[in-house]
Amino acid sequence: MATQVHPDHEFDVQDLMINMGPQHPSTHGVFRMVLVVDGEIVRDVVPYIGYMHRGGEKLAETMDYRQGIGWMDRTEYLAQFNAELSYVMAVEALAELQVPDRAQWIRMILCELNRILSHFMFTGAFGTDVGVFGTAFTYSFREREVIQDLFEEITGDRMMYAYFRPGGLAWEVPDNFVPRVREVLKSVRQGIKDMNGLLTDNEVFRARTVGVGAISAADATDWGCTGPVLRSTGVPLDLRRTEPYLKYDEIDFDVITGTTGDVFERFTCRIGEMWESIRIVEQCLERLEPGPIMPDRMPRMLRTPPGEIYMRTEAPRGEYGIYLVSKGGNRPHRLKIRSSCFANLQALRDMTIGSYVADAVVILGSLDIVLGEVDR
Amino acid sequence: MTTDDGAQQGSESGAAASAALDGTIWPEVDRALAGVTATAEPSVLDVIVWIPRDEIVRGLRALKHDANLKFDYLRSLTCVDNEEEGMDVVYHLYSIEHGYNLTVKAHLPVDDLNLDSATPVWRAANWYEREAAEMFGVRFRGHPDPRTLLMPEDMTDTFPLRKDHPLAEIEVLQGEALAFPSGAGGGGEEE
Amino acid sequence: MNNELFGKDINVWIDAFIRVNIITIMMTVVVMGLIYLERKAIARFQMRLGPTRTGPMGLLQSVADALKLVAKEDVRPRNADPWIFELAPYFVFVPVFLMFVAIPFAVSWEVRVLDLGLFYVLAVSSVNIVGWVMAGWGSDNRYAMLGALRAAAQSISYELPLVLSMIAIAMVANSLNLSEIVAGQGRIPNIILQPLPFVIFYIAMLAELNRTPFDIPVGESEMVGGPYVEYSGIRWSFFFLAEYASLFILALLASAVFLGGWAWPLGEDWGRWWQFILTGVKAGAMIFSVFWVRSTLPRLRIDQLMTFSWKVLLPLSFIQIMVNGAILVYEPEKEVGQTLLGVTSVFGVFFLAWIINRSVTRPRPRPVVAARGEAVP
Repeated sequence: MATQVHPDHEFDVQDLMINMGPQHPSTHGVFRMVLVVDGEIVRDVVPYIGYMHRGGEKLAETMDYRQGIGWMDRTEYLAQFNAELSYVMAVEALAELQVPDRAQWIRMILCELNRILSHFMFTGAFGTDVGVFGTAFTYSFREREVIQDLFEEITGDRMMYAYFRPGGLAWEVPDNFVPRVREVLKSVRQGIKDMNGLLTDNEVFRARTVGVGAISAADATDWGCTGPVLRSTGVPLDLRRTEPYLKYDEIDFDVITGTTGDVFERFTCRIGEMWESIRIVEQCLERLEPGPIMPDRMPRMLRTPPGEIYMRTEAPRGEYGIYLVSKGGNRPHRLKIRSSCFANLQALRDMTIGSYVADAVVILGSLDIVLGEVDR
Repeated sequence: MTTDDGAQQGSESGAAASAALDGTIWPEVDRALAGVTATAEPSVLDVIVWIPRDEIVRGLRALKHDANLKFDYLRSLTCVDNEEEGMDVVYHLYSIEHGYNLTVKAHLPVDDLNLDSATPVWRAANWYEREAAEMFGVRFRGHPDPRTLLMPEDMTDTFPLRKDHPLAEIEVLQGEALAFPSGAGGGGEEE
Repeated sequence: MNNELFGKDINVWIDAFIRVNIITIMMTVVVMGLIYLERKAIARFQMRLGPTRTGPMGLLQSVADALKLVAKEDVRPRNADPWIFELAPYFVFVPVFLMFVAIPFAVSWEVRVLDLGLFYVLAVSSVNIVGWVMAGWGSDNRYAMLGALRAAAQSISYELPLVLSMIAIAMVANSLNLSEIVAGQGRIPNIILQPLPFVIFYIAMLAELNRTPFDIPVGESEMVGGPYVEYSGIRWSFFFLAEYASLFILALLASAVFLGGWAWPLGEDWGRWWQFILTGVKAGAMIFSVFWVRSTLPRLRIDQLMTFSWKVLLPLSFIQIMVNGAILVYEPEKEVGQTLLGVTSVFGVFFLAWIINRSVTRPRPRPVVAARGEAVP
């Protein structure tokens, strides 16, 4: 880096370039950013992604619709059900499958629980980013573990569930599903209170997050941010409300928004969303009735007529879209995954420039990126 | 707006596909795109608007700044490789204020994969275009930062998401396994 | 030149040799114990078990770790400055052990009684910052460099409140000799007379030790270890030895200066072992509170840290000194003077709490800084 005269000083200074990642404790996977710092102030950020690119969109073109479900788990590996949901709904819309009510309610319950799980992952990791030595992490993971146990009982897997199918669900949930979910909710409520006590009401935490990394609503929209990042700026864009899918139009819930769009509000938005998710799950449990979980007649090999669809759902991190182009046959002609983190991460530079080095880590953590989703 | 109904019930949307364009936002879009040669076709969820590639940025800008539409949010930008028929660049737009959805497409012939960049319209197009450029070989003219995004820096001569890009051996084998659907697992589909 | 040790009359050099050896061996053992206790304590705070496998209840974990560290390869980066890089751990480690000379454990049980003991301890404790900067500079690593500069800024900033809070105590105790300060406390430890200097000392101690919420130089989530990011094996363990040793020593210092050291406030004590236990318990309480804070609080930012020191702690400790001087210069009755000192200092603590509550939670707009150079997304 060439020596240049600092505008504020008479002597020559040099910008220091700090390379963070791809192996760094706070980059949440294999993300790399080069910080150009002047003392402790960040002058520029250059993000580099792609370390986890697995060519998933190309792979999905080689798989039939049923195989593709498993691939969705591997892109968004913290909100697998939400990712699967976008995909199976896209296929259902193209293949004109009617999903039974019970399957829709169970999908909603699982998606909302997965949202809670993902947000707990966020609070834990974010606590570590802010500097809590592991305590937020363990308390978050206690609740995450409880939810994950439930998912394991249902699907047989802890991470890669592959449980949704075009048309419904792979198999019926266990008999004790409803009491188990209530048990989980009870534990989760305590977990959120713990998080509030440990982080939200913590003065040092507030000192580190309030006013940091703020972005305006117009900028966030322009960068294509979605999810809590956009809602914290005050834009009430929640696809569950604006374009209701499944049965969200029959359910009473609030869209949590903030005002300033700083890191603290991104955090509190997610905490608020966890409470809303609990509300949604409780209402779903009351509406859940016995019934079929798959349509009466399903083709042995699923084929779709030619056509295209952009199916979007509200994943924990924002809009998770599947652009599916079919030319007939049993596999997609083109499958584009519109990842929420990918767009949110674009705004990182705007948020970070001018903040401190320590804040760069906090801002990156507040975006809650999942590299599997960014790189696909 | 029919798009909301389609979004609620994916399975009901088959009816929307055959429905005509009236009742959609196409008249509004047509009005906003005055001076741009645009054609429309219905789709399962959203209306698809075809804009010639020379006028694409003008059209997108008109869509963004029109007071009744305000497509201020670029959901997604991608390419579809139709092999010898050329490539389609697909823009998915959303209007936060009005809740409208729109799909805009531009067709590129095989021998001339150039298109004006949409980054002056939405900054969000930046990374999407970089990705589309490295994956499909589409050159976005006027892009402020035409580096690779997901691929290695020196991998600028192959375009992995094109249909003619060869698959690895394991991927070919995986495709062959499709000939035996009973072995592919998953019990739920059985009647 | 003879000296009394264990009730025997020995030559002063042999005596010194024995005492230094006892201290050094004890120190290493104590540090290993502290590491074990910290791991166990933080594990309990975090609903974990901590070490369980090595020895009964994992007691040998620290020994195993020490053996592993000693046996590890001592890696030096190719571009590192060899002398500075390799000497840095000693500059961190030796001053900490030197501090030990003046710390009293029981009646006439310290390495040396120094009339300027307090002054000596504080002076020596600030030497190890040289080692940190050497480590950061010699490593030729930007994380290390940034971490070392942060450490230097932080240490220098918090040295002042630390020293000034001690001066307030020295004024009350009318001595700089640590043994006399302890002996002079009697039934009423200094924490009751001077709570504000205690709070300031505690905060500054956390900062001096690079402990949460002031672990900015080493912050794992941003600086990935700061100055010792390039160190491995035995040299790295020196840094840790120094860190825990200074934790132990500052806790001992706090127990001696503020908590009454070996003094038993409820009556006669029962001999030297009782005094050892009292000193240990008081220091242990300090250490435990440091662990507790570590597992609870996030990390502050460098600007907040500096602001807090220069704009809050330093003026408050000056005010405390002036108030003490104003009270003591008139030489009031002992009870009246003590009451005045205590009451004013308690007010100071409330004032500090109010300032923290107000200033730390006040939202700060981020500084407006333009990006330099061309737009690179």
